[in-house]
Amino acid sequence: AAAGLCRYRALLARRGGALRALCGSVRGLAAGPETHFGFQTVTEEERREKIYRVFESVAKKYDVMNDSMTLGIHRVWKDILVHKMNPSPGTLLLDVAGGTGDIAFRFINYVRSVRERQLQRKLRHHQNLSWQEIAESYQEDKSKSLGDSQVVVCDINKEMLKVGKQKAQHLGYSEGLSWVLGNAEELPFDDDKFDVYTIAFGIRNVTRIDLALQEAYRVLKPGGRFLCLEFSQVSNSLLSRLYDLYSFQVIPVLGEVIAGDWKSYQYLVESIRRFPPQEEFKAMIEDAGFFKVDYQNLNSGIVAIHSGFKL
Amino acid sequence: YTGQGGQESEDYESEEQLQHRILTAALEFVPEHGWTAEAIAEGAKTLGLSAAAAGMFHSDGSELILHFVSQCNTKLSELLEQEQKLVQLGEAEKKPTDQFLRDAVQARLRMLIPYIEKWPQALSILLLPHNIPSSLNLLTSMIDDIWHYAGDQSTDFNWYTRRAVLTGIYNTTELVMIQDSSPDFEDTWRFLENRVADAMNMGNTANQVQSTGEAVVQGLMGAAVTVSYAETSRAVR
Repeated sequence: AAAGLCRYRALLARRGGALRALCGSVRGLAAGPETHFGFQTVTEEERREKIYRVFESVAKKYDVMNDSMTLGIHRVWKDILVHKMNPSPGTLLLDVAGGTGDIAFRFINYVRSVRERQLQRKLRHHQNLSWQEIAESYQEDKSKSLGDSQVVVCDINKEMLKVGKQKAQHLGYSEGLSWVLGNAEELPFDDDKFDVYTIAFGIRNVTRIDLALQEAYRVLKPGGRFLCLEFSQVSNSLLSRLYDLYSFQVIPVLGEVIAGDWKSYQYLVESIRRFPPQEEFKAMIEDAGFFKVDYQNLNSGIVAIHSGFKL
Repeated sequence: YTGQGGQESEDYESEEQLQHRILTAALEFVPEHGWTAEAIAEGAKTLGLSAAAAGMFHSDGSELILHFVSQCNTKLSELLEQEQKLVQLGEAEKKPTDQFLRDAVQARLRMLIPYIEKWPQALSILLLPHNIPSSLNLLTSMIDDIWHYAGDQSTDFNWYTRRAVLTGIYNTTELVMIQDSSPDFEDTWRFLENRVADAMNMGNTANQVQSTGEAVVQGLMGAAVTVSYAETSRAVR
């Protein structure tokens, strides 16, 4: 049935294409520009819709599925991302496609511990102050346990944001955290606002990656940093074969068993294959205007962290 | 893995120039934060950039220290160049070698004074394996510079000994300076004076050794000639 559906959709797309050729330069009238959804070919509008529905359906089981698919290693990847960011207190972070808040919570923890260390260092220098003065400094420092750092979690999907907010409440995160519904291709923020922009495992679900990169450039302050954590191409051929085997045979099965949704996880695995490799993505980031763009492979390229600066 | 995009116009600053500006601005925060990414972040902020720009550099502060050392070496070269010009114009007297070395090393070490509290941290970072090539390079070119302005024209093995000697003097004086608490580091300068004097004497001793050596060799040669002559005459007889 799925195969049949695919063929039908491909026929539609082709007919749409023929129509478009007839209409000449009138673009977007019939079906819009074509793109991929996993290994299928669809229009951009269809893709956005389908991806919205994928995440709507997996939202509640998103974290559980992440843990079972990557055997918990995604936690390490996200830790590495935040360590690489090395945020100082006072940093304003925009986490796009941040859905269930993994990066946001790690950011808050990191900044909190940096702030504590700073306060301890200050106290050591306060050895010759009177008790009164020390007590006063305790008071004013307590109110700034995050040191004015803030993270805005932006996601296009209401369900994912809902799950994220619930998690935050459950884990006790409230200070310095806000949730915004928004589209990475068209962010609801002003120019030059944020110190760091992160997008973890989100950009391959964006339909027009170039637009998302341009928006990232726009909302970052001068000197701001772009960080992207995403599945990428594996260089080692033996590992690549094992990885393919695992991806196509095991993951959709896990999806069916744990989340009751084979198709969404089939899409996920296919979308990883469709995402441009490290060097190509690096070139796209440079095209958006970023400087000092480089990438770091994790686990031989299963995942890569791309970084760029707005200078 | 680094790339560079964008157009280049005439007054467009290159990435490197911007990085140098950030590091220079960061130096003023070193006494408070040490040679760390925090100092670099503060420096970036004074230039109107986000603190996240500090992510461009190593998190251990290596680039900041290397930048500082390179800046100090440049300042030293300029200083020595100016002094040389004065001597050439006849407005100053040419210093004897030992005084020249003393003054040059002292001038260079005095540049550390504003950062002397955090300097031990810097030294240990410079000794990290990934920094050794660059720090060694900077050190040797600085020593070369000093000898060049001191009027060293040698092209023989003396070139190596002179560099080794001065490097030794510089490094040991630097270590003494770090834990020196005397007013205006006078203990350090006295130590420096003694080391330079030692080095000069060693040079003389080397000459003495050489001439003594020559005398010994001549004596041995004479003895050998006498002995062989005695042998041949005995053989003849």
